[in-house]
Amino acid sequence: METPIQKVRNIGISAHIDSGKTTLTERFLYFTKRIHRIHEVKGKDGVGATMDSMELEKERGITIASAATYCQWKNHEINIIDTPGHVDFTIEVERALRVLDGAILVLCSVGGVQSQSITVDQQMKRYNVPCLAFINKCDRSGANPFRVIDQLKEKLNHNAVPVQIPIGLEADLEGVVDLISMKAVYFDGDFGENIRIEEIPDALIEMAAAKREELVEAASVFSDELTDAVLEEHEISEKLLISAIRQGTLQRGLTPVVMGSAYKNKGIQLVLDAANLYLPSPLEVKNEALDIDNNEAPVTLSGNKNDPLVALAFKLEDGQFGQLTYIRVYQGVIQKGETYINVRTGKKVKVGRIVLMHADQMEDVEKIEAGYIGALFGVDCVSGDTFTSSEFKVSMTSMFVPDPVISLAVKAKDIKSENNMAKALNRFSKEDPTFQTFVSKETGETIISGMGELHLEVYIERMRREYKVDLIAGEPSVAYRETITQSTPFDYTHKKQTGGAGQYGRIAGIMEPISEDEFVFENKVTGGAIPTQYIPACEKGFRSCLDKGPWMKYPVTGMKITINDGASHSVDSSEMAFQATARGAFQQAYFKAQPVLQEPIMKVVIETPDEFQGNVMGSLNQRRGMIIGSHDVGYMTSIEAQVPLAEMFGYSTVLRSMTQGKAQFTMEFSSYKQVPKSVLEEIEKKNDKKTKTA
Amino acid sequence: MIKEQLILKNPLHTLGFEMEETERKGSFGAVTSRAGVGKTAFLVQIAISSLLKDKNVLHISIKNPVEKVNLWYKEMFFNLTQPFDVKQSRELWEDLLTRRFIMTFETENFDFSKLTSRIDGLKSQNIFSPQFIIIDGLSSDEPIGPELARFKDYAAHNGFTIWFSVRTHRHQTADPLTILHQMCGGEDNNLFNMLIQLLPEKEMIQVKRLSVTREPLPVAHTPLFLDPSTMMVIKQDSLN
Repeated sequence: METPIQKVRNIGISAHIDSGKTTLTERFLYFTKRIHRIHEVKGKDGVGATMDSMELEKERGITIASAATYCQWKNHEINIIDTPGHVDFTIEVERALRVLDGAILVLCSVGGVQSQSITVDQQMKRYNVPCLAFINKCDRSGANPFRVIDQLKEKLNHNAVPVQIPIGLEADLEGVVDLISMKAVYFDGDFGENIRIEEIPDALIEMAAAKREELVEAASVFSDELTDAVLEEHEISEKLLISAIRQGTLQRGLTPVVMGSAYKNKGIQLVLDAANLYLPSPLEVKNEALDIDNNEAPVTLSGNKNDPLVALAFKLEDGQFGQLTYIRVYQGVIQKGETYINVRTGKKVKVGRIVLMHADQMEDVEKIEAGYIGALFGVDCVSGDTFTSSEFKVSMTSMFVPDPVISLAVKAKDIKSENNMAKALNRFSKEDPTFQTFVSKETGETIISGMGELHLEVYIERMRREYKVDLIAGEPSVAYRETITQSTPFDYTHKKQTGGAGQYGRIAGIMEPISEDEFVFENKVTGGAIPTQYIPACEKGFRSCLDKGPWMKYPVTGMKITINDGASHSVDSSEMAFQATARGAFQQAYFKAQPVLQEPIMKVVIETPDEFQGNVMGSLNQRRGMIIGSHDVGYMTSIEAQVPLAEMFGYSTVLRSMTQGKAQFTMEFSSYKQVPKSVLEEIEKKNDKKTKTA
Repeated sequence: MIKEQLILKNPLHTLGFEMEETERKGSFGAVTSRAGVGKTAFLVQIAISSLLKDKNVLHISIKNPVEKVNLWYKEMFFNLTQPFDVKQSRELWEDLLTRRFIMTFETENFDFSKLTSRIDGLKSQNIFSPQFIIIDGLSSDEPIGPELARFKDYAAHNGFTIWFSVRTHRHQTADPLTILHQMCGGEDNNLFNMLIQLLPEKEMIQVKRLSVTREPLPVAHTPLFLDPSTMMVIKQDSLN
C-alpha cells in the first residue's frame, strides 16, 4: 500500500434495481486495467459481470451480496464496494455505507429517482456519507438527465448540480461537455477507451454557459475565494472551482452530477475522475468510537497509522478456507502475525492471513493501514465487532439492523440434508443479521425469517446449491404482534403457602398502551412496599410475558407497566416469587386492556407501463391495499400503496403475468396497523387448526 | 365530535363562499399568487375540509412527488387536530386516507386530455371516484383556454368541483382576474367561478377573496391569513 492516504478513496456504489451499478463497476475495473475483458451482467458469453461472482447472481442478473475490489486511477487507490439494489438485501448496503467514506448514487436517466434510490439515499444520510450522482443509461429511449436532476432536488432534497451536460441523448449520445474545463469530451474506440477533447459544439455553447454559471453559483456558497472571484469578475480557474465543489460535496451540501452510459462506455472515465476529485479520503471523514472505560463517551479517531489500532469487522463470509472477515481499519495498522483484542468478547485474536479482495479473488498482504479495507482469515468474530490494540478500549457504534418481516418454515427431507441445513443456516445467519433462524418450541419446525420473499428465496436456493440440501419450504408467515389499547390497573397477589418453602408477592400498578418503544417498565413504588432487591425480578417477570401474548401467542409490544404498590413476606418473598407475581399481574390485566392484533403494512411501489396501471391498482385494492397515489412519468406510472404483508405473498408472479413482465415492484416495511375483524377471525381459525394438528 | 368541530373551520365558508357555490358541479375555483407564498398549503386545507364532509378528493400535482403531497396533508391535518385527542385524530386520519387519491405528473407530461383519461380509468375500474379535485401547479403564462373549456364541460358532466392553483409571475402587473382571463382566452371566456388571491402583507399572508365579475362581493367576510410559520389558515382576531 504505497498510495498516500490522501489519495485513497473508499467508495460504495448504490442505487435502485437495474440502474447499472454492476455494469458501471465492470467498466471501472476495465478502464483501471484490473480486468482485461468486459463481461456483461447477463451477457451472451454466459460469464457474467466480475462483481457478480455468485452463480445465482449471474443467473438472475442481480447482485445479491456486496462485493469488494480495488483499483488504481490517476495515482489514486479506489476501493469499491458494489451493493445490491433490492430492498431485501438492504443489510449489505448498510454494511457498505458504514465503512465507506463516499458513495456514487447511480440513477437511470429514464426511471430517475425510484423507490430504492430513496432508501439508499436515506441510508447514506444516516451515515453522513458524501456522494456524487451518476445518471446512467443516457443512451436509452426517453433519457432525460435534467428531469432526473430535478427529481434529485425534489424527492431527495439534494442540492444536485450537473458538472457535465450531455452531447446528444438516446441513440444520439456522443459524449459530454465538461463544465469545469468547458470542453467537449468524446469516447472513441471499441470500448470508449480513447478520450478525445474538442471544442463545445455550437448548438450547446449557450446551454453550457448557463449551466456553468449555475454550477459556479452553487459552488461559491462553499468557497469565499470563489465568491470573491465571481464578485470581482475574475477568471475562475478549474482548480478553484473543483476545490469549491469538493468542499460542498464533503459537507453534503452539494451533489455533483455526472452522466453517461456504462453499457455504451460513455463517460465512465470521467466518473472515476469525479470520485477522485470530489469524494473524501479517509482523513476527511470524521470517525468516532465509544470509550468503553468512560461511559461510552465519543472518541474521535485520528486516522493515523501510528496510533493504536481500531478496526471494524463489517462483513463475514464462510468459504472453503474458513471464515473471511472484511474489516475497515480506522486507526493504526493491523499486521499479520500480531495479536489484537475483540472488544465485544474481550478475547485476544491472532491475525494469521491478511488479504485484499477482488470480487472472489484474494491477494495476500502483510498489513492493512488506517483508511484501508481488507479481509482477515481465521478470525472468529461476528459482523460489527471492533478490534483494537491491547491498550485502547473503544467500540465502534453498531450498524442499524432492521427487523425481519417475513418468515417461513423449512424442513429437510432426509438426515444428511438436515445436517447440511443446520450448517448452512448457522453460516448465513452469522453473515447476515437480517436473516434469522430458530426452532419453534411449539411445532419443532425450523423457521427462517428475513426482509422479503426474494431474501428468503435466495437463501433457500443457496442451501440447495451450496450445501446440497433437499428441503421443503412451507408457507410464509407474517410477523403479527399484539398490543393493548386501554389503560388498566392491576393488583395481583401470588401466594403459595401450604407448608414448606412458600412463595408470596403482591404487585399493584397500571398497564397502559404507548405508541413508541416496545416495552417500558417504570417503578413508582414508595416506602419499600416491594423491597428494592425484588424490583428487577418484577420487571423480568413482566418481560417474560412479552414474547408470547396471552391472547394469540404473538409478541406483545407498545406497552408500559408502572408499578406503584405491593407487599412482601419476610420469609416467603423471593425473586422467583415476584417473577411469578408479575406474570400473574400481566395475565390479570392483559385482557382488560383490550388487546388487538397488528400486522406489518408494507410500502409498495410499482412501476408499470401506463396501459396496465388500472389492472395493477385493481390488484392492490383486492389485497386490502390503500393506494396513496400515482406518479406519471411519460409512458410509465409509479403507483404507491400501503398493503398488508400478509396479502403480498406471491405478488411478484401475479404482477409479472398481468403486465407481461414489464412492471416491477419494491416493498419495504412501513408500519404496524390493527388487523380488520374479518382477517382476525381467519387468523384465529388458522391458529386453532395449527394447535389441533400439532 | 372532532369531525364536526373541524368542519366548522372550513376556510371557504369563513371567506363567505356559500355551500352551493363551493359544491356546484363543474365549478372552478382558483388560488393565485407568486411562487412559494402558500397556494399548496391553502388548497390542502380546503381539500381536508372536503374530506371531512366525506367527499372523495383527487389531488393532482404537477411537479411535486406523491410523498411530498402526502406530507403536506399529514402536516396540515395534524396541525388542525392538535387540540384534540391523539387517538381520535389518528383514527380520523386513517379514515380520510381512504377518500383521498394523489396523482402527480412531471410538468412536461401533463395535459388535460391525459388527466381525463386517467380519471375515467380510475372510475371505470372502481378504483376511485372523485367528487372534489385539486389541480396544483398551473402557470399563468400558459394560455390553455380551449383545453380548460373542454375540461370544464367534463367536470360538469361528471359532477366534480375543481380548485386550481395558478402561479403568477413578477413581471405580470395585471390583477389576478385579468391574468385568469388571459389564460382562458379573454374576459368573455372566463371559466372560473371563485377566485382567491394570496398576498404577502408584512409578516403574514393575506387570503383575499376576489370577485370574478368585477362587481363588489355580495357579503362581508372575516379576513383570513396564512401563518407563514405553519402555513395554517387563521382568522384576523387570532393575530392579536
